[in-house]
Amino acid sequence: MKSYVVRRSILDGFTFAFLIASLAVWIINPTDEQALNMRVNVALFAAAFILGTFVSHVLTKLKVTTLGESLFQPPYKKNKEAVAWYKTFSAWQLIVLLVGLMIVSIIKTKFSIYELLNEDGFNGAIRLFKGIGSPNFDILPKAILNIIETIFMAFLATALAIPFAFVLSFVSAKNVMTGKVGFSIYLAMRTLFNIMRSIEALVWAIIFSVWVGIGPFAGMLALMIHSIASLAKQYSEMVETVSEGPIEGVQSCGANKLQTIWYAIVPQVVLPYVSFTVYRWDINVRMATIIGLVGGGGIGTLLVQYQGQAMWPEVGTIIVVIAVVVWAMDQASAYIREALK
Amino acid sequence: MSVKPILSIKNLKKTYPNGVQALKGVSFDVKKGEFLVVIGLSGSGKSTMLRCINRLHEPTSGNLVFNDGKVEKDLAKIEKPAEIKWLRQNVGMIFQHFNLIPRHSVLSNVLMGKLSKTSTLKSLFGMFSDEDVAEAMKYLKLVGIADKAHIRADQLSGGQQQRVAIARALTQNPQILLADEPVASLDPATCHVVMDYLRKVNQELGITIVCNLHFLSLVRQYATRVVALKGGELVYEGDPKNIDEAWFEKIYGAGAKEVHIN
Repeated sequence: MKSYVVRRSILDGFTFAFLIASLAVWIINPTDEQALNMRVNVALFAAAFILGTFVSHVLTKLKVTTLGESLFQPPYKKNKEAVAWYKTFSAWQLIVLLVGLMIVSIIKTKFSIYELLNEDGFNGAIRLFKGIGSPNFDILPKAILNIIETIFMAFLATALAIPFAFVLSFVSAKNVMTGKVGFSIYLAMRTLFNIMRSIEALVWAIIFSVWVGIGPFAGMLALMIHSIASLAKQYSEMVETVSEGPIEGVQSCGANKLQTIWYAIVPQVVLPYVSFTVYRWDINVRMATIIGLVGGGGIGTLLVQYQGQAMWPEVGTIIVVIAVVVWAMDQASAYIREALK
Repeated sequence: MSVKPILSIKNLKKTYPNGVQALKGVSFDVKKGEFLVVIGLSGSGKSTMLRCINRLHEPTSGNLVFNDGKVEKDLAKIEKPAEIKWLRQNVGMIFQHFNLIPRHSVLSNVLMGKLSKTSTLKSLFGMFSDEDVAEAMKYLKLVGIADKAHIRADQLSGGQQQRVAIARALTQNPQILLADEPVASLDPATCHVVMDYLRKVNQELGITIVCNLHFLSLVRQYATRVVALKGGELVYEGDPKNIDEAWFEKIYGAGAKEVHIN
């Protein structure tokens, strides 16, 4: 089957199934027990999906352009006549879909203007802002000591990630890994990086805080794992865009694979590498703060301690310190990256 | 007595993975010490042919018998990395876009020619022997660019870069030098400078040259022999002086006009 037909069927199938399922939930109003019965619900949704693809197919056969068809149809099938948008099926399908999504998400997030303007809650927020707005600078030395921990945590995580990411970036670049064996290694590495990156640093921090105990070491390891995957991906994308000329030139001199990488590829990627790495350190400082919240050490841990005791002036001090450091890192990394261009 | 050709190409075919047949069975000999020029339109298979000879591209079938009087070997049958290394030592190449390492110095670029004879570990630390450096400087002098040895390669003009590329290829001590459109991205004046250096390499060092060219006026001036490719097939082989109007039209198609550069 043509791939655009598959894509159109999946998109249309999902939009129809979503609308059918939302309507069904609204009409039937299932109990919790019914809603948690996964087998039946998945079967029902699958049935709705199949029905949707069928409807999509029939409509396409009737020359009605569905949303999927209008998005994915190949250029030669495109209708040359301009039709006003409100006369097309696909436009209305999109509007109904968006309205449906909006309604369901408002219900799901328990969106409520009342809660936002409720007097109790509002007063609580004012108290909090007042506290934060009048920071208690007595704890400044402690906050600074902790943010230093955070900065070094981020630095070590970045520094330790560089050699791993450097080596892995060539192993996971399509233009280096040629041949059957090479391509399978490339695919395996790419998949591994995607898995590593799709697990948030926060989750890695939870894993490592069980492994090595709560504290900056766990936070550093979490950031390192995440940095390796992110840097290796960015690095390898750089490797894939190098120009072929120098590679051919060095190969024509009888260089082996390692010599070719070192002399033809590395000089072309070293500047972007440095730029990415500085940016990664910057990101890691920000992430390290968040990771501290789940016990990764540094300023985040301090923040969560004060927040737990509702000591808002102290929290205010910490927010100021974090803001200053993040702003400074951001500026510094921007300047360094600009200078490297 | 007939001397065996240094390179004998027999029925060379190359089909790319996308199905394009770049070479449809090309056969001719390259004689030792000659300046052989290959002409033909873009897409006629000239570049593919050169890249098959030094195995930057894999030939689909055919033979490439190399014979320098000591070793006889079919270059198309080579598979081991060590043999590929041996092949590249004997067959140097220069390119239309020079293919230097832009951020490295001229000298460092020329030393690339010694990569195949330097151990991997030493080469990764840039530890080339004094003899290698002296040899690199010798060839830089030969192409008249020794004073630029420590300048970054991307700061040189096109013609100078091509001369660095020639020096790099010479540092491999090759017996054959392949040149893929060496002057196609240069202005007419620089073009002759580079071609003159290639002739010097051919005549003084006795290195056999196989050169792809566009301009017939250059061909007549520099070539000792010419082969022409059209659509992946050999359509002419002979003396450059014998390419007349009729042959020109046959090679480049009816209606083509010869462009002269001085």
